[in-house]
Amino acid sequence: MDQMSKTILLVEDNPDDVKLTLRAFKRNNMLNPIVVARDGVEALDFLFARDAYAERAGKPPPTLVILDLKLPKLDGLEVLRAIRGDDRTKFIPVVILTSSKEQQDLMQGYALGANSYVRKPVDFTEFMEAVRLLGIYWLMTNQPPPERHTA
Amino acid sequence: MGLAAIGVIAAMIWWTYSEVEDANHQRQVTSEIRRGLSELKLVTFEYHLQHSERARAQWEATADRVDRFIANARFPEPVQTEILAELRENRAAGRRLFVKLTAARGAGREDATLDEASRRFETQLLRQLLTYQQENFDDSSRLNDFATQRIIDAQWRMMIVILAGLALITSVIVGASWLMRRGVLKPIARLQQATRQVAAGNLDFVLGMHGDDEIGELSKNFDAMTKSLRGSFAQIGSSNQALAVLNEELEAFSYSVSHDLRGPLRSMDGFAMVLLEDYGDKLDEEGKDALQRIRAASQRMGNIIDDLLRLSQVTRAELNVTRVDLSAIAREIADAIDREQSGRSVQWAIEAGLSVRADPALMRIAMQNLLQNAWKFTGRSDRPLIRVGALERDARTVVFVADNGVGFDMTHADKLFGAFQRLHHVGDFPGTGIGLAIVRRIIRRHEGRIWAQAKEGEGATFFFSLKESEHGSDEQDHPAG
Repeated sequence: MDQMSKTILLVEDNPDDVKLTLRAFKRNNMLNPIVVARDGVEALDFLFARDAYAERAGKPPPTLVILDLKLPKLDGLEVLRAIRGDDRTKFIPVVILTSSKEQQDLMQGYALGANSYVRKPVDFTEFMEAVRLLGIYWLMTNQPPPERHTA
Repeated sequence: MGLAAIGVIAAMIWWTYSEVEDANHQRQVTSEIRRGLSELKLVTFEYHLQHSERARAQWEATADRVDRFIANARFPEPVQTEILAELRENRAAGRRLFVKLTAARGAGREDATLDEASRRFETQLLRQLLTYQQENFDDSSRLNDFATQRIIDAQWRMMIVILAGLALITSVIVGASWLMRRGVLKPIARLQQATRQVAAGNLDFVLGMHGDDEIGELSKNFDAMTKSLRGSFAQIGSSNQALAVLNEELEAFSYSVSHDLRGPLRSMDGFAMVLLEDYGDKLDEEGKDALQRIRAASQRMGNIIDDLLRLSQVTRAELNVTRVDLSAIAREIADAIDREQSGRSVQWAIEAGLSVRADPALMRIAMQNLLQNAWKFTGRSDRPLIRVGALERDARTVVFVADNGVGFDMTHADKLFGAFQRLHHVGDFPGTGIGLAIVRRIIRRHEGRIWAQAKEGEGATFFFSLKESEHGSDEQDHPAG
């Protein structure tokens, strides 16, 4: 599978963070298509090919979900619960990328089956580095679960 | 009631005593009479045998004595008075007979012998006299019997009165104790139960005993007390609730500080960087410097927020007290510092076997701050030395972290442990001014004390002692503790 087919779903409501994250990916030469969902409901619509994303039915799921926790409508932990609760999405690697390093968020994140938990640094240089490492690991190093064509 | 009974008994005993005394006196009198009568009988016989003048005179004397007794005798009973009257009558008749007898004898005194007729008359007179005397004797016996009977009666009456009095006293005592039980002991038992209930925390307990006596008053006051206690507790409860709500708000606040304040900072830093990267060639040095300053300030504020959050986490964290090996922790921290900051060489002197009962995670944070501080402030020393050890003071273990760094002026020591308080310029020694505030909060959470000693240019020593919850620091550690 080439890099272009490995879609990343970025669930992030803060447009600044979206822009900076996309810049970080680009600067690190990671050219994967990135779909941005601006709230929890939109994220699940994309994953389950509903409403605005109905045309995605039958297409392979994203290779990686980068998930913020504090989201409008449906928060990140609820999105994670839905992803892990559905056979179609339960093996997708989910990386929580958030400002919070509250104990309870960490605990709940891992309890619901997050693969990784990264705290967004204030320093953009550090942020770039974190995104670079994420991309290298989850998009290149890590062996993804076998694709399932039937739901 | 009891006093009345005792009074009655005392009166009865006194009455019985005087009754017996009286009866005894009577008996004495009647005995005297009897003795006189029997003496009179003997004298009569004597006269009959001898007919002497001496015997006659003796008879007269005895008869006078007996009659005097009888005349003086006074008896209360009408029967006795009757008997006495009969006695007097018989005695008078006897005396008349004796006069007759002596007259008869006197008539024939010249002759040594009396004729048959005279002797018969005399014998008849004598027989009559003896009969009277016998009757007299019987009467006196009856009087005596009366007196005796009176004594027996009095004794009986006394016994009955005493028994009745005892019964009365007993019933009075029983009644009084019952009243006491109902009026005093029972309410006191209830009061005791009430205090126990209230002490156990049941503030809804109401005595509800109404009375005008002291017990009733006490009960009313007790109920009033529990009522006011209920009020106070309700107030405390609502205050606690308000505090809990406040605490929750505080937690929510620190959460949003963590999340919401850091977001804009990241944007400021990130887009300043974008400007520098994408448009750096269009900016002069001053423009670039301004952007660099924006970035530096954003990052510093990010650090401050992180430290503030750390401080609040230290406050909220649950304490898991167990035996903590401070030496090992200090060693690990020192090694980590050396690894990360390989540019500097610091000599660490960490005493082995330092052990305290505390929360291991919080103690690690405290030691981390203290050692990092020591490391930071020895940055300009020629031969930086950091010592960690313990000493005994007032039977307490005092742990110290000493350095030979820049130290500080003790006149500002009071500011040392306050949040955002700094004794040095950020430019000289970087930091947010939160580290020692965190350390103090950790020590305080262990009910301990922290203080410092320093001299400008000669280094600083930080001391802390923790509340020793158990004696004997060498004992085996219990995880549950």
